[in-house]
Amino acid sequence: MATLLAAMTLLTFFQVVLRYVFNSGWVWSLEATTYLFAALVLIGMSYGVRTQAHIAIDLLVKRFPRRIRRYIALFAVASCLAYALLMLYGSSVFVRGLFILGNDARDVPLQKWVLTATMPLGFFLLASRFLQSGWKLFSGDDYADNSSPQ
Amino acid sequence: MTALFLLASLFVFLFIGTPVAVSLGLASILTMLLFGDQSLLSSAQKFFHTMQVYPLLAVPFFILAGAFMTTGGVARRMVDFANALVGHYRGGLAMAALLGSAFFAAVSGSAPATVVAVGSVMIAGMVRSGYTRGFAAGVICNAGTLGILIPPSIVMVVYGAITETSIGRLFIAGILPGIIMTAAMMGTIIVIARKHKLPRQEKADFSTVIKTFREAFWGLMLIVIILGGIYAGVFTPTEAAAVSAVYAFFIAVFVYKEISLKRVPAVLVDASKITVMLMFIIANAFMFAFLLTTEQIPQAASEFIVSMGLPVWGFLIVLNILLLVAGNFMEPTSVVLIMTPIVFPIAVEMGVDPVHLGVLMVVNMQIGLVTPPVGLNLFVTASVAKLSLEDTIRAALPWLIVLLCVLLLITFVPWFSLVIPALLLD
Repeated sequence: MATLLAAMTLLTFFQVVLRYVFNSGWVWSLEATTYLFAALVLIGMSYGVRTQAHIAIDLLVKRFPRRIRRYIALFAVASCLAYALLMLYGSSVFVRGLFILGNDARDVPLQKWVLTATMPLGFFLLASRFLQSGWKLFSGDDYADNSSPQ
Repeated sequence: MTALFLLASLFVFLFIGTPVAVSLGLASILTMLLFGDQSLLSSAQKFFHTMQVYPLLAVPFFILAGAFMTTGGVARRMVDFANALVGHYRGGLAMAALLGSAFFAAVSGSAPATVVAVGSVMIAGMVRSGYTRGFAAGVICNAGTLGILIPPSIVMVVYGAITETSIGRLFIAGILPGIIMTAAMMGTIIVIARKHKLPRQEKADFSTVIKTFREAFWGLMLIVIILGGIYAGVFTPTEAAAVSAVYAFFIAVFVYKEISLKRVPAVLVDASKITVMLMFIIANAFMFAFLLTTEQIPQAASEFIVSMGLPVWGFLIVLNILLLVAGNFMEPTSVVLIMTPIVFPIAVEMGVDPVHLGVLMVVNMQIGLVTPPVGLNLFVTASVAKLSLEDTIRAALPWLIVLLCVLLLITFVPWFSLVIPALLLD
């Protein structure tokens, strides 16, 4: 993740330097940056689940007794899983379409489907993470109340 | 019916503790599958294309610049300079904390980060000089909210990207309200200092002012580069963000020597984490906004409100209340992401300037940061000031009046938000 972010920053920075100092630029730079950005976000999503970095509102949930809270949490994880699977399906159709078309990207010398394949991959990883935390929750005693507004 | 289902499912997911990003995404997808004629493919496309919205590329870069600049040393330099300027007045240390927060906000771009950095430098010192811990915490907690108003502001980048409003214009529009907000809090400190005979510092001689300025200069240059570069048309806000990230790296590692080269990867990882978390919400919010547009929900709402004959000021009051309530439950970016696609078309229909609306939203979010139950600044201040959450809330609440007065001023006098951009950019 760190490498992706560093690469994006440097690409955009050098684009400015090239423009002003050397009066030139790489045409592929902007497009490459946006695909790196997408890869960063998509691959990073599941990492965010692992580190509990995703913001949620737990104000209401906290007021319920422990037992009910567990069912609510299960339902929440189930909805997360449903989301990840629906998006996995949608993004697979998206990438498959691009694969069949076989179009090249505008400036980067790769086919578009290669560059967008990070999306189904990202949602696959996300779904597995949600499945994992759902299983932990379901199988019982692992439910620790360590969620906080931060 | 569609709108009802969309909003109802969104709130159900939100309140059972589903992450904000997933709530937005899932509510949109379900609504679309049940009522819309789009496919999952188009949702996926929309999601992916969010990362190709050029202005949003500024988000990771500003976060990275802030991550390099958010160290105790940079905050200390800002506060030292502020202290040399105003320390000799009654309540000088509190003023220095406020001014230091404003300076620091301009390099970090984040409200909680400003509280942590300035708070850990200042609160102990203020208590030692005879301020109560509560007063010190109140000043820091509220001054920290300037982080999202004073550019660079990620909330503004997000608003600009959704509404296709110029981000440079929004940044420059934030300057005067930022100054007014700082002045209002400064005035409050002066009044309280007189009343409670708060201590003053020795007057710094001119050479100290120059010396502390030279120390703070490299950090403060960051905001000059960003605003100057955008204003002069040297680069786009996105490029300005990338340049400021590289500049911040250079200053932090080689000039201030606050971060060793070895720690740079860790800073990059931290910045990536925050980027991913924010962009995950933003990408889902774009799906949400896309659905709103294709189902023409804002148009219907707008027609309804216009047909009610609500005057513009009435609409703005309602909007403020809505934003304040929402700001109490969610962090600023999420509120802006959910509310903007709904209220923006209505506001434009009623003749509210997009830039004015943007500033208005940000000031509302500032207030949300210091109001319970989910004011992020409150939690951060409580831990930095070593106070209980209840005491922090009690300390921060009186300042709410000041913030609310400024909000009213900015709501009803669009001139404050619009005069500087008009002067500089037209």
